[in-house]
Amino acid sequence: MVTESDTGSIQVEIIPSRFLLPATAQKLLNEIYGNGGIIRIMIHGPNLPRSVPYGPGRGSPIDENRDLLIEVGGQAFELSVKVGRIRLELESEKYYEGLKAACERALPISFQIRRGKFFHTRQTITDYAKYGKVEDTRILGLIDPKAKQDRLAILSEENVAVHDEER
Amino acid sequence: MAYTPQYYPGSTSVGINRRKHMSGNLEKLRDIPEADVVAVMGHRAPGADYSSTHPPLKEMGEPDCPIRQIVAPTAGAAAGDRVRYSQWTDSMYFAPSIPYWRSYWGAINCKGCDPGTLSGRQIIEARERDIEAYTKAQYDSEMTDVALCSMRGCTVHGHSLRLEENGMQFDMLARTEMGSDGNVYAVKDQVGIPLDRKINLGKPMSEAEAKKRTTIFRVDGIPMCGKVGARKYDEAVDALHHMWELRSKWGFRPE
Repeated sequence: MVTESDTGSIQVEIIPSRFLLPATAQKLLNEIYGNGGIIRIMIHGPNLPRSVPYGPGRGSPIDENRDLLIEVGGQAFELSVKVGRIRLELESEKYYEGLKAACERALPISFQIRRGKFFHTRQTITDYAKYGKVEDTRILGLIDPKAKQDRLAILSEENVAVHDEER
Repeated sequence: MAYTPQYYPGSTSVGINRRKHMSGNLEKLRDIPEADVVAVMGHRAPGADYSSTHPPLKEMGEPDCPIRQIVAPTAGAAAGDRVRYSQWTDSMYFAPSIPYWRSYWGAINCKGCDPGTLSGRQIIEARERDIEAYTKAQYDSEMTDVALCSMRGCTVHGHSLRLEENGMQFDMLARTEMGSDGNVYAVKDQVGIPLDRKINLGKPMSEAEAKKRTTIFRVDGIPMCGKVGARKYDEAVDALHHMWELRSKWGFRPE
């Protein structure tokens, strides 16, 4: 029988039953941030292009998708996806119940929350092409392999090592 | 005795709705002005001339053909209009019409059209003044719920995605929006080019209303087999099995 360590980090996925408006996303993220214990977090959902990507209207601006600024923990950043899923890693098991309660407070709709393994741990070729040799493995699995590196928002006060100048 | 086609088997509400859609005997829920429908379609400015691909049939001098004498051309064909399209995306979250049923409706009830069904969208092509009439009929009838269905010429993503928090179908290009008065407004045409004014499409259906009018079988709505736990499946499944059997055996002749 394998006994899981109760001191290690855990990974959690939160799936609301509907896509969140930016205001609700901000509320939810602030509640999650207030709960504490976050090692890293990923916001996932369909892309919100700033202009029509193809078709006869290609290039027409989509003003509704611009300046979707949200403020989390005192720092503002721009949403580029419709929030449909949040994956995060918590320092330990003890933050899990608080996280559930935070979601219940912030979300006006039903949601699923589950534990599992959602971030990869070993560097892939794509990661190498994007970041070079990754020293800080916390950045692995945070963005879609096809997405550009600017999709990664580093809000931590600590210095996260992302070296790409060598390439 | 006059024959009335049944179109679709089954006694579930979905079966009844499917029959209604195919027969064209649909309830009219709203009246969107023709100019607004034309603006959302985006092929021509409302009031502008129709572009044409050939002169009107009367001027062309058609060959002596018995079929042409039997079949009267549609208004668009008679005038020589260009072929245009309207394409719809219907949410799988109980939108009243699912892609195949728009196609069945078009194929059975609309003269001179070419419906096409794809996994999450449905397109009908026809001569311009005909497609405008068909699109208006779709917009006005119970085939369309303004929150769960929208006209999308490109970037059609949305059918199988979760709804937005306010009950609208997700749209990357934000072609429709929920107003503060509870009405849905079209702000862009079907390819995402902004309109010069907002078009009021009316109020969306409630969740219960959409479930009542839907043509999609879902386990969390009305399942295809009929009542859960019933001793006998709904006729729709029997008919489906029958068709499946005939299609599988088709052409098979053991000697």
